[in-house]
Amino acid sequence: MELGESLRMSVRTIRGHKLRSVLTTLGIVIGIAAVITFVTLGVSLKADILGEFGDSGANRIFLVASPSGDGGGPGFGAQSVFTERDLDRLRAVEGVRAVIPVGSIPVSAVDHGDRSVATADVTATSPALFDGTEFAAGGPFNESRPGIVVNRDAASQFPGNLSVGEEVTVAYRNGTSVNVTVVGVLATDASVSPFGGFGSGGPAFYLPTSYYDQVVESPSTGETQRVYPQVTVIAENPGEIGGVQERVQRSLAASDAAQLVPDGYEVTARTNEDIVERIGNVVDRLTQFVTGIAVISLLVGAIGIANIMLVSVRERTREIGIMKAVGATNRDVLQLFLVEATLLGLLGALVGTPLGILGGWIVTQYADLPLVLAYEWFALAIAVGVLVGIFAGLYPAWSAAKVDPIEALRYE
Amino acid sequence: MDGTAGERAASTAAVQLSDVSRTYQRGQPVHALVDVSLTLPHGSYTAVMGPSGSGKSTLLNCIGCLDTPDSGTVHVDGREVTGLSDRDRARVRGEEIGFVFQTFNLMPRLTAEENVALPLVFQGVDRDVRLDRARDLLDSVGLADRTDHRPSELSGGQRQRVAIARALATDPALLLADEPTGNIDTETGATIMDLFDDLRDEGHSILLVTHERTIAEHADRIVHLLDGGVERIEELGNRQPEGTPTDDRTEGS
Repeated sequence: MELGESLRMSVRTIRGHKLRSVLTTLGIVIGIAAVITFVTLGVSLKADILGEFGDSGANRIFLVASPSGDGGGPGFGAQSVFTERDLDRLRAVEGVRAVIPVGSIPVSAVDHGDRSVATADVTATSPALFDGTEFAAGGPFNESRPGIVVNRDAASQFPGNLSVGEEVTVAYRNGTSVNVTVVGVLATDASVSPFGGFGSGGPAFYLPTSYYDQVVESPSTGETQRVYPQVTVIAENPGEIGGVQERVQRSLAASDAAQLVPDGYEVTARTNEDIVERIGNVVDRLTQFVTGIAVISLLVGAIGIANIMLVSVRERTREIGIMKAVGATNRDVLQLFLVEATLLGLLGALVGTPLGILGGWIVTQYADLPLVLAYEWFALAIAVGVLVGIFAGLYPAWSAAKVDPIEALRYE
Repeated sequence: MDGTAGERAASTAAVQLSDVSRTYQRGQPVHALVDVSLTLPHGSYTAVMGPSGSGKSTLLNCIGCLDTPDSGTVHVDGREVTGLSDRDRARVRGEEIGFVFQTFNLMPRLTAEENVALPLVFQGVDRDVRLDRARDLLDSVGLADRTDHRPSELSGGQRQRVAIARALATDPALLLADEPTGNIDTETGATIMDLFDDLRDEGHSILLVTHERTIAEHADRIVHLLDGGVERIEELGNRQPEGTPTDDRTEGS
């Protein structure tokens, strides 16, 4: 029996039971749609996170104290361990162009005129953080020009926009406050990421490290020094970043940070590539987990198809008998039912895929992520739908092929 | 009749059964057929009569390759079929046998012409070719204007005509009809029997199972079954199959 004829007959059967066919494929539709929605969400989330690591980060090495082993991502549970002595030693490492400490000053608000913008912290850092960053007005702070740098979003929070030269009042959380002059307004609404490129949006404020007052007694010198949770090392040459990373790691071995770090934590030097890979792994694992749950609904869909096919075989026992009487082989009957089950699976996949894409779009819109479509997953989803159909149809088709024509012709 | 003649008969007859027995295990053994030998020459028209349980259906199923005898041989158009695989027996059913059932047994979702073409689907005949053939056959049974109708849109007599056209689709060696007028009123039944008479005149071999004497009398001879064996063979002498010597008669068991 030709495949085309099996297809034609199967289509007719499926059409003949529209409601039943729709309900049968619903399991597959939901399963495929769920898988594609979650995969789209995962892929989009990954793209969003990795997008924060711009190309400009290729020469950056990121230092952080994090739980030992594979446990956490960068910045996870960051402890302030890098003293000014450590920074000086890092600056002396061969191939290092700049060392940028990044700390957080706990504040309650930034005020200007009548307007007070509540904010949790102001970033304390050195001017090198702004290397390669475009300013709408002014420029980075430096020793001769101390002051505050704000991003465009922060500037627009105040009536008439903040402009360079105006004064703002930074209210610390301990109740005191300090007046600083705006020296630069960034040309972006995003924050400047220590990984290079830009981070998430929202108002961002930057002050020189002289405003940063978290201190510790240096274990090596006994002096009281500022201590930072994050340090970004910028290499002279992105091509030699591997060697610089190694020397930085060696330098860290004898650092204050290595002594200050809590038990179970370690100080590591990671390049963007390392971080990207680690975040990618975490997101991948999350995606796999959620997708695994969605796959269960595919299994339920398969059971649905198998169930309805078994009913169908029973209902059509007499037809099977007729076909056998007029010359159908067991193989012909098997093929007919298998094609029908496969079509149901394919139908489910074809309906489920656009639904999944729609679901992915809705979820990414809601989560404010860029929509990234994983085309290879769509092909996979359709293949899975077909396979589920075949898998679910195997036993019913086999039992149809085994029908005894004498019994079947007598069957009412 | 000597052995050589018997072998020739086997090679030329539409169907030859030799010592066919079939026993079902239904709690205790049921001897449905016991040592039945029967030859149906090409172009012959045979009726089978007998009370229920006499083995009519089993005989039909064994000849139609739906059932396999426990012992004995069945030749269909010269080919021994009892030893064939499932697959080959399906092929013999498709090529050599045309079934006509009491309950018509048409595919409900297929049109008349698709039903008639169905046996050709399993022979791998092209769709256009088989639908052409189906329309020709429907025309020959007087249903040229009903080709696109579903079985549910046809009367009982029309359905049986479709079934007969279907049975003829592969130009089989033998038509097997099981109570073909059983579900049809007498008047329509008569037209169906006329159709069988015409088919016989065209040279088709027919085996017809019935319990009505008037129906059976359309045939050349009546085989009376009783308790799984041939009780007697009654020659009606209506017509003799063409090209068959008058003494080429079949011995009962």
